[in-house]
Amino acid sequence: MSAKRARFLIMLFAALCLLSLAVACGSDEEDDVAEDDEAAPTEAATGVKYTPSGNEGSLAGSIAFEGAVPAPKPISMDADAACSNPGATIEDVVVKDGKLQNVFIYIKDGKLTDKGQNVAALAFDPPSDARVLDQKGCQYTPHVIGIQTGQKLSVTNSDQTAHNVNVQAKSNPQFNQSQPNNAAPIEKTFARAESLIPVKCNVHPWMKSFINVMRHPFYAVSAGDGKFEIKNVPPGTYNVVAWHEKLGEKTQSVTVGAKESKTQDFSFAASGATASFSSSLEIQPALDFPMIGKH
Amino acid sequence: MAETPDADKIIKREPDAPAPDPITSRSTSSILLVCALLLTAVLAWALYDEVYGQRPWKSVQQTFIQRYNRHLRILKRRGNPTEKEVKESAEYQQLDQEAKTAAAEVAPRKNEIVRRVKTIDAQLAAIADPFQNARGNITLINYRIETASSESAKKNFRENIDEIRGERVEIDMPEDGNPEKTKEVELTFPQIEKQYNDLKAEKAKLLTEQSELLKESSELAKKREEYLKDHLVGPSAQTIDALLRKNESFDFSMRQINVTSENVVDRCETCHLGTREPIELTPAIMKGSRRTPDRLARAFVSHPNKELIQIHDPERFGCSSCHGGNGRATTDMEKAHGSNKHWLFPLHKKENIEAGCQQCHTNDRVLDGAPTLTLGKDLFQQRGCVGCHRSEGFDREADALAGSRQLTRQLQDELLANERASRQASAEVAGAPDDAAAQKLLARAESLRVTNSQIEARVEQLNTQARYLMMDQKKVGPNLKDVRLKLRKEWIPEWLKNPQAFRPGTKMPTYWRIDGEGKNARDREREENERKAIAAYLWQESYEGKVPEQPQGNAANGKMLFETRGCMACHSSGEPGGEVGGDFAANLQRVGDKSNYEYIVRWIHDPRERWAPYSPALKRDLTREDYATRNKPYVFDADHTKSPLDGSELQVQNMTVMPNFRLEEQETRDIATYLFSLTNRTAYPEASFMDDPNLKPEGLRLIKQYGCAGCHEIKGLEEEQRIGVELTKEGATPIERLDFALLTHDAERGIDPHDPKKKTGVWYNRKGFFENKLATPWIYDEGKEKEPQDMLRMPQPFLNEEKKWRNALTTFLLGSVGTEGASVQPSLFYKPTDRQKDIQDGWWVVKKYNCMGCHTVQVGQPSMLAGLPLYTTPEGRAELPPGLTTEGARVDPTWLMSFLRDPSLSEKAGGTQPVAVAHESAMKPQSSTTTNRSPQTTGTAQATTNSPQNTSPTGALKPQPGENRNGVRSYLKARMPTFNFSPNELRTLVRFFLAVSSQQEPYIKEKLDPLTNEERQLARALFTSQAAPCLKCHITGDPGHDATASAPNFLQSGERLKPGWTFRWLLDPQRIMPGTSMPSELFKRDGERWVFNGPVPEQFSSYEGDHARLLVRYMLQLTPEEQRSTTTTSPAPSGGNGSKGQVAATAHQGLKTSPAQTSGTRRNARGAQRASRGTERRGRRQTQVSSLRLRRNVRA
Repeated sequence: MSAKRARFLIMLFAALCLLSLAVACGSDEEDDVAEDDEAAPTEAATGVKYTPSGNEGSLAGSIAFEGAVPAPKPISMDADAACSNPGATIEDVVVKDGKLQNVFIYIKDGKLTDKGQNVAALAFDPPSDARVLDQKGCQYTPHVIGIQTGQKLSVTNSDQTAHNVNVQAKSNPQFNQSQPNNAAPIEKTFARAESLIPVKCNVHPWMKSFINVMRHPFYAVSAGDGKFEIKNVPPGTYNVVAWHEKLGEKTQSVTVGAKESKTQDFSFAASGATASFSSSLEIQPALDFPMIGKH
Repeated sequence: MAETPDADKIIKREPDAPAPDPITSRSTSSILLVCALLLTAVLAWALYDEVYGQRPWKSVQQTFIQRYNRHLRILKRRGNPTEKEVKESAEYQQLDQEAKTAAAEVAPRKNEIVRRVKTIDAQLAAIADPFQNARGNITLINYRIETASSESAKKNFRENIDEIRGERVEIDMPEDGNPEKTKEVELTFPQIEKQYNDLKAEKAKLLTEQSELLKESSELAKKREEYLKDHLVGPSAQTIDALLRKNESFDFSMRQINVTSENVVDRCETCHLGTREPIELTPAIMKGSRRTPDRLARAFVSHPNKELIQIHDPERFGCSSCHGGNGRATTDMEKAHGSNKHWLFPLHKKENIEAGCQQCHTNDRVLDGAPTLTLGKDLFQQRGCVGCHRSEGFDREADALAGSRQLTRQLQDELLANERASRQASAEVAGAPDDAAAQKLLARAESLRVTNSQIEARVEQLNTQARYLMMDQKKVGPNLKDVRLKLRKEWIPEWLKNPQAFRPGTKMPTYWRIDGEGKNARDREREENERKAIAAYLWQESYEGKVPEQPQGNAANGKMLFETRGCMACHSSGEPGGEVGGDFAANLQRVGDKSNYEYIVRWIHDPRERWAPYSPALKRDLTREDYATRNKPYVFDADHTKSPLDGSELQVQNMTVMPNFRLEEQETRDIATYLFSLTNRTAYPEASFMDDPNLKPEGLRLIKQYGCAGCHEIKGLEEEQRIGVELTKEGATPIERLDFALLTHDAERGIDPHDPKKKTGVWYNRKGFFENKLATPWIYDEGKEKEPQDMLRMPQPFLNEEKKWRNALTTFLLGSVGTEGASVQPSLFYKPTDRQKDIQDGWWVVKKYNCMGCHTVQVGQPSMLAGLPLYTTPEGRAELPPGLTTEGARVDPTWLMSFLRDPSLSEKAGGTQPVAVAHESAMKPQSSTTTNRSPQTTGTAQATTNSPQNTSPTGALKPQPGENRNGVRSYLKARMPTFNFSPNELRTLVRFFLAVSSQQEPYIKEKLDPLTNEERQLARALFTSQAAPCLKCHITGDPGHDATASAPNFLQSGERLKPGWTFRWLLDPQRIMPGTSMPSELFKRDGERWVFNGPVPEQFSSYEGDHARLLVRYMLQLTPEEQRSTTTTSPAPSGGNGSKGQVAATAHQGLKTSPAQTSGTRRNARGAQRASRGTERRGRRQTQVSSLRLRRNVRA
């Protein structure tokens, strides 16, 4: 065997050794992950802040009611002399001249024309003024309110009797507080968007109101004449929802152009969504218990 | 190329050269070289393997540190600003300032103290040695004096002591002002002693002063730190830095938990380093270079349940105790996780992880933090697995009953033996050798008789126990002795064929062996015949007779009752796929298709009412004739449980958990009519074969073979044993003993048993065995040659939520390993005592009767009702039965006991009951078809109810055990039913509620200070003031007001409530029961006391006491007279005029007021009350139908 061959073998072996060593060592090395990978916020984005472009239009319309108008149901407030609100009626369906009051109209989702952003994902600053829910004559005014996340809700009592404010929120903390006459307003904010939070008073069981918490200011409540207007709507194409506590909800796709005053009417039928025993509801899943007590 | 000439030369020389010498001409160097290199390589490999191959965890640890540090650095970058922000906030600055000011104020004195203490320390150090030396010497000499024998020696020693005491010692004493400098002093021992003690005393004094001095500033500093902690999200910068520093000096070595006493050696944390890190680590955080988390990332995470490892400290329990796996192995994952062959405790898969809990928590019916296991136990019990398979702990009543019967027999033998011995002793007296011996014999005879009287007391106790246990014994399925009374004949074979086809989701499993779907015609025929035989036996071996006729009821009212009384907490209705309601009991959509209307009416009226009593002693049902032979009336109920023939205990009620809702007969008719209106009667094939007596023997054999008597009561098979294998230790069965039969190879190779082309992963393990058997019980019989009677008998259970339920049952089975099979030492098993034991025992009863269908028993557990659409509306939520999470703290256990016994509180009616005129509804009329009761029928009703004859021929049903109302919350439509709990179960439940609320037992009622007249007036004024809403919702006893009341009567509070709880409830009810109608913020804090949060009556201006406590005392000591005075002074409800009944509420418009209400005399008032109740009931119905109609969710 020639020395040449031997040299070759040695070289080959050495090379193999080195190679295997390199492989062995290399496998230990953790490839450094780009830190940004994790640094990018993984939790739900707070969203891009909305900036008005100056092209805002508006969305207005009126809510019609079709069919036989239900007779107003008077409330007997004899139970509490302090209520003194003669002629009060249940506010579940309030119709005047074929127009429906207390309908909550809001932009559910949709894209802005300018940047193609989804309106539901944008972030809005809460208005600084508080939204007031007053208890007067043992009724809530207004009956339906919209409020932005982070905006202050101020519940006042203008009656000479005690109420309790029972706000049965699901995605926000629920509360049920007593508010005697002349008590200071109860002030709360809602951190999360949630629609149709029922508000009731257990002392006066006819009292009822609904709070709709929105992330954005594009909502309105139909007035006594059925009219509503949402101002400063950025140009875009949206799904606009009109919701009524008894008659259900209607959705329309609406496109608002730059500086356009768009009109979109809604209409509810008397027989709309009557409450009935629904069979489509699923059976409650098996229970999930958190821990109580310790060993 | 230059070498070529040389080569030529060599070749040229070749011919004359000698033959080549193999030694010199052939070099072995290359072989040697190869060998050497190989050796080197092996050495290198050995070294490498030693360092890395055998210790793969080293590189794992490096990776962990790398990723962990990366995360910490990111946190640090992100976290710092927030900490800075908090520190810059005004509040923090202020707290900081306060803390610093306080510290600065005391700083001079503190420094002084510190300096002085330093000096004292130095001085003490200087004199300590000489002092202790001298003292030691004196002690020694004293000892010598004590032990010295001569007086002279003692005297010498005494002199010695004096010498020492007088000796002057030189000490380098540090100076007072400057301890660095020393001054030489000469002191005698007494001087040293004095100085030493003085210095010590001074130091102690100074230190006390210092801690006093620093108290304020250190408290402020603590407050500042608390503020920082409260406002910092995530770990602080210090924590992060500390962790980073710790990681810098990370010790790359094995992590081991070693608990010698429990035989635990777990090295799991060698790789799973993140388990107990203070920072929450997730796979996303610990991921490698790839986008998705790799295997290591998942291994590095924190333990997902911190609370669990707090309870089960890993330093005591290790890891493998709960998780399984091989804690010692570190060389590779397969071994460490115990998934290698023959390792007894493989790591539990994620979906079955709670199997580990079951090893120690076998007796826990409900286990916090183990929902899957708890579901498994629910299913095992409720779906009837327990009917065929024994599992220790699940047969609580049967086991106890067997035990008590056996003990009774033993004791009776003992009684006889004692009696004999006693007689013998008495007989021997005459022949006794002397008086002493005679007296001894007499004494013995006497003591034996006394012993016997004690044994008799014991036997009596056991008999009582046996009676209670027989009351508590329940069956999963209905009593099949009732089939003739209850069912349509033709329906029975159809049901047996495939229960799921008739009622999807039913507990009754499919007996695939008789479903007529066999492989070939012969099989199908055999199956058909078997089915016929079973049906024939059941039909013929049933009670003869006919349930009394019942008129039809009002379906609309029945629907309302069905939906609101609480039936749906257990039952559902609706077509398959659209069921609404609970799945604890049957779906009632098609009940009208299978059963007799009359039977259902009777059943709803009282499900426990048995057709005939069963005697375990005679092993048969007793008949009317049996009673007649002893001239006894045919009466058997909770008060008449003894056999007329032999006095033994009888089974006097149907063994169902369904309670009695105390409904009026008319109401039960309405409900039955409603249920029957849900379906049409299907035409089933004619079934005259069921009357063929020749089929009976075969039917009996088959019923025995299939174990029907496990879940059903069947004539002749009441004492039948279970047919299935015991499952107490099933999870510990060695894999070789699980018969995979012909599927063994498929299981080992991971081939899907249903599709040979599909790979499923190896399933030759217990998990695979159980899962496949649960899905397809006959799977391991596939391809086997067996006689029909030898084939597997297990029916196919219906798993509604297939995957979830199968996982739950598999988890339960995997964890059921018995004591020997557990990977945990028995010393670590959960064996609770006292309260914990009460809780453990209580859950069995709570689960047995499905209390959680209506109530929240555990924090965060929604009841079944709460999820139903009816109860999700604001009005519906106020209709929910009360939560019971603090029940033990809320109510007096004695009261609770009586309430559980009779939730209508009928016995207490008297004046305390709001809605009730006592006995009125007890004397229910057996009226015809309308809901309106006419007074004339009351008389006849009395006649029938007076005779408690069981199922009397007149058609009347027995009177209900209580009134048709709720005892406390009479305003709720949902009804607390009468469960007929035995005293045993009553005790268990009361103890359970007490224990859950950490209450002492027995409860001794707190004595409340009686109210002074002044206090009573104050309380009444507040109670009835416009600002306090109490009387607007709570029942006051005024019928007009109570029609819309929505909270209990205060009159009951004294007996019912505990003062402490009531006080806390007043302050913040939402904290105790979130979502309750009772509002919070009724009181506000004013210094040390709570005052009413609103305008208070004038008298209160001078009242110094706690308003809430005053009200508690007032409420708990309320008398009927006092209550009347509140209703008259109250401005709130109904001033007593004609508009009383019209209180508020939308749905009450139809409510008419009774003119009788204005009348004044007591007698008339009573009539008025009754009248107003009539209208109220009608009004209620309207409410229920209109405003509380189940409503579809219209949420966006």
